[in-house]
Amino acid sequence: KMAAAAAAGSLWRAGWRLWRGRAVVSWQLCPPQRAVQASAVLRRVSDEQKKEPSVSSSQFDLHPNDYQPEQEPQGPHPSYTGQGGQESEDYESEEQLQHRILTAALDFVPEHGWSAEAIAEGAKTLGLSVAAAGMFHSDGSDLVLHFVSQCNTKLCELLKQEQKQVQLGEAEKKPTDQFLRDTVEARLRMLIPYIEKWPQALSILLLPHNIPSSLNLLTSMIDDILHYAGDQATDFNWYTRRAVLTGIYNTTELVMMQDSSPDFEDTWRFLENRVADAMNMSNTAEQV
Amino acid sequence: VYQVFQSVAKKYDVMNDSMTLGIHRIWKDIFVRKMNPSPGTLLLDVAGGTGDIAFRFLSYVRSVRERQLQRKLRQQQNLSWQEISETYQEDKVKSLGDSRVVVCDINKEMLKVGKQKAQHLGYSEGLSWVLGDAEELPFDDAKFDVYTIAFGIRNVTRIDLALREAYRVLKPGGRFLCLEFSHINNPLLSRLYDLYSFQVIPVLGEIIAGDWKSYQYLVESIRRFPPQEELKAMIEDAGFFKVNYQNLNAGIVAIHSGFKL
Repeated sequence: KMAAAAAAGSLWRAGWRLWRGRAVVSWQLCPPQRAVQASAVLRRVSDEQKKEPSVSSSQFDLHPNDYQPEQEPQGPHPSYTGQGGQESEDYESEEQLQHRILTAALDFVPEHGWSAEAIAEGAKTLGLSVAAAGMFHSDGSDLVLHFVSQCNTKLCELLKQEQKQVQLGEAEKKPTDQFLRDTVEARLRMLIPYIEKWPQALSILLLPHNIPSSLNLLTSMIDDILHYAGDQATDFNWYTRRAVLTGIYNTTELVMMQDSSPDFEDTWRFLENRVADAMNMSNTAEQV
Repeated sequence: VYQVFQSVAKKYDVMNDSMTLGIHRIWKDIFVRKMNPSPGTLLLDVAGGTGDIAFRFLSYVRSVRERQLQRKLRQQQNLSWQEISETYQEDKVKSLGDSRVVVCDINKEMLKVGKQKAQHLGYSEGLSWVLGDAEELPFDDAKFDVYTIAFGIRNVTRIDLALREAYRVLKPGGRFLCLEFSHINNPLLSRLYDLYSFQVIPVLGEIIAGDWKSYQYLVESIRRFPPQEELKAMIEDAGFFKVNYQNLNAGIVAIHSGFKL
């Protein structure tokens, strides 16, 4: 009976991960066909680049090289060579450019909020026209989702580093409650520079058309945290643990929104209490 | 094409309203909303003779700017009266936030009608009227943030040249937007539409503008125009990225958008 439960659990989890993986793929900012086409050209161009180092390489200039290599032997027709005159061997894809614009736009969030205006300002700093903000959704959703995804990636890096340190024996393995507290605190601290406009971001994340993406980001973050916490459960506890941690994270985030104590002490104390509660709950459950 | 529009210029707006039952206003509103221009945008409206898109652009930018200023003022609650009046003054000067639109058309008559309309409606600042050919624009490279062509591209003889010119005059990151009649996929709707186009529109043309032939030409040019996917491919050929289209009214009209990256 235990083996059956374990098998069912792992099957569920595999399905869960598959669904998540698909959802992640669906939130890509560029249509799949173009990506394939672009990358086909990309490889060819980078080969061409190695043969003709004198050709001025310009980013995003995929099409001229694709369609007019014979007609214009002197080089591609005038195209975008911005970015402060940087010349690089590789060609950036549309996605990478979009990521760069969004990252640049984050600096303008404290002033303009999570909006198309911030994206337009970000595009301006990269030397692009403000109209480039038209590539994104007009309500600033893409900016928020990009930021959340960036924070999650940073968190993963942090956790990986810590795990490596433990494996190398440079640090002690933290007890679970300490680990959870530190991780959630680290993740929430990333919000501090944008804390004033964060309520706006939360409301954007709750918009119906954003819910699949935001939910996906949240669940993958919780999943990663528990993975690094050493969660090996294959039974029903897998769900309860995730639900509990999600609850802890969300409530702490909300408390942080209206916390005015120095360095958010109240928030961390709240977090400590919630994690302690959760630990007690699981101990009690075991006893039963 | 020149002759057609010379005779059509004066009655252009009236005919638009009657042919499309006034829906063309909604299409143009959706078009400008999709553009979502921010203050400080330089727009080139090609074949925009009577200025519909230009006026909508200016109103949109003005309201966005007002909202921006209101937000700024709300953050400055504790200023003295002196400082508040100073901010009001400097903001009045920039009520458009440096946005400008250049209306370019091949036809002098259409431009004349447009200038009169501007005066009549009270649009004075931020507008320029230039005579020019879409296949060979009289502008320097990389000057404009947005290039729009609403119901004009089907009248261009060499669409690929016009697209290439659009690419040339746009700044890096600039946007190409095209509003045009297109093809309906749904066969039933398509039949109804054909019926309406070939039976009703030339008749209206004769009654209202006294010109059957021009409107016959109009309807035929709509049929000859490439469908959505083909136009999208042509735009990509000109060098634009992230090209997509949005059908309005099931394909009667489509908005194509591309970026110069």
